[in-house]
Amino acid sequence: MGLVDKKLSLRNRNKMLVGVWEDEDALLSATQAVVDKGIHIHDIFTPYPVHGLERIMGVKRSRLARVAFLCGLTGLSLMFLMVWYMYVKDWPVNVGNKPVRFSPSWIPVMFEGTILCTAYGMGIIFFLRNRMLHGIKNDLLDDRQTDDRMIMTIETCEGMDEQGLINLMKEKGAVETREFHNGIQTVI
Amino acid sequence: MIHDSLIRERLVTGDKTAADVTRDISRPILNQPSSAWKIGFTLSLIFLGIFGVSLFWTVWTGIGVWNINKSVMWGWDITNFVFWVGIGHAGTLISAVLLLFRQKWRMSINRSAEAMTIFAVVCAAMFPVFHMGRVWVGYWALPLPNSFGSLWVNFNSPLLWDVFAISTYFSVSLLFWYIGMIPDIATIRDKVKTKTAKFWYNFFSMGWTGSTRSWARYELVSLILAGISTPLVLSVHTIVSADFATSVIPGWHTTIFPPYFVAGAIFSGFGMVATLLVVARKVMNYENYITIGHLEAMTKIIMVTGTLVGIAYLTEFFIAWYSINEYEQYAFINRATGPYWWAYWSMMSCNLLAPQVFWFKWARTTPWFIFTMSIVVNVGMWFERFVIIVTSLHRDYLPSSWVMYSGSLTEVGLFLGTFGIFFTCFFLFAKFLPVINMSEVKTILRNRE
Repeated sequence: MGLVDKKLSLRNRNKMLVGVWEDEDALLSATQAVVDKGIHIHDIFTPYPVHGLERIMGVKRSRLARVAFLCGLTGLSLMFLMVWYMYVKDWPVNVGNKPVRFSPSWIPVMFEGTILCTAYGMGIIFFLRNRMLHGIKNDLLDDRQTDDRMIMTIETCEGMDEQGLINLMKEKGAVETREFHNGIQTVI
Repeated sequence: MIHDSLIRERLVTGDKTAADVTRDISRPILNQPSSAWKIGFTLSLIFLGIFGVSLFWTVWTGIGVWNINKSVMWGWDITNFVFWVGIGHAGTLISAVLLLFRQKWRMSINRSAEAMTIFAVVCAAMFPVFHMGRVWVGYWALPLPNSFGSLWVNFNSPLLWDVFAISTYFSVSLLFWYIGMIPDIATIRDKVKTKTAKFWYNFFSMGWTGSTRSWARYELVSLILAGISTPLVLSVHTIVSADFATSVIPGWHTTIFPPYFVAGAIFSGFGMVATLLVVARKVMNYENYITIGHLEAMTKIIMVTGTLVGIAYLTEFFIAWYSINEYEQYAFINRATGPYWWAYWSMMSCNLLAPQVFWFKWARTTPWFIFTMSIVVNVGMWFERFVIIVTSLHRDYLPSSWVMYSGSLTEVGLFLGTFGIFFTCFFLFAKFLPVINMSEVKTILRNRE
């Protein structure tokens, strides 16, 4: 699996069925109904985090916490090495004849380095994984998906009962259903 | 089980829908600036001008234009530094600590509090940087290879820890603020009409579409950033307090400084958040989002932390007596009854006594009164730092070194000028970015439990 989550791009995909909701409870129940039918939901776009959606959709828990831990460990080690090199290896300073080795006064600098590397390391991986880059063209399906509308996308495949699925979406409170193919949307 | 709460007061009033939230919060960005904004921004620019002139004079002539001297070598500058860093801490507290404690009332105020953190840290950084005198060699504070015989920085010094702590704090707060703002920038991107605005909001929204996968990662990253920002904010003010506590100056050499400084930082920071938000909610018509309930919650924190710093003041006094160390005892007697008694008693009355008024519900729920009290808190906290720094330095071990100190016009100008930096940044923020976190507020519209 690559670093960038390719599912976040809507380009080069089969025909997609698109359902639009304006109520989160209706969306949650629709998602459950679609998943219960054994259909894989490609993605759901919401203007705010709708808790529970990712669990119903079966989105795996992100491993960013582990990334953060590794970045923190890297920061800690780098800062330790830096202070050790400057204080012990390169230019040992005789302070009151004390032994030149690790001392608690190194801790604040090492701690700050750990936090900085954790935050920025995790932040960069977060941006990459989420396919986020300054100025990148966004794949918006609806102008209001960052305002008050919630959009469900289902990638079609052979043998799929498309009409049945559209009816299910409407039954479950979709205010609009569309078809998305080659970058063009048609209301159905 | 999730259900609509019947007894808990609503965090957002006025029966708002998600579309209402977008419309209300993005109104200042999409419309022409109001006259209140123009007046405020012009005033801020005047203060920014004062800062520019004072700074130019300081750099051009040297820090001899300040009234600091060999006894009081830290005066208004470090007082202002600690004052601004302290103010900044409430932003991190609101967004990080309250997030960890799952306090949903933070959602309406975290964005502006985080912005306040960033601007306050910028103001704070001005003072130690320009106190160096020859600011053009300021990079000597960094551990860079050099041709002075491998002269590395001193890792035993809290002043160096400060360099690392403040720069890390600024960088991490900026990242936390920015990541938290991306979904809202995307919302604005999809609302603005002009080509230039579309370009810039598109640039900074980084292609955000609101995918469930992105939200799941976003929430995890926010949680981790909150988790690491909490010890970070504690470490930053602990290190600032170590600038004093690791010295051998009577009145500074105390182990109570770290918790006492952290409590003071939260206290003054909430004071400033209250100052800003009481005005902003009125001028920007955000009374449904920043409700009386929000103000009340903030006043409770002000009262608790004010009492904590009060206890710290009394503990210091007690320990000075208990230590049987005559220098320590003299330092504290001198604070309360010496030539700077007025500063000490201003501090005591503003920080310990005044916030006690928040025991009364009327005081906690009356915006104009909260605004007045927030100014009192800020004045008190400035005096706290002035008292700690100046009263401990102006009479040292050697009576022949005893001096009096008061800030010069340039020092006063620099301090007033930092309000120019702070408010100019804040007004620009209020014009171009959403002051309230729209995507988070939309999750609490239904008052669910």
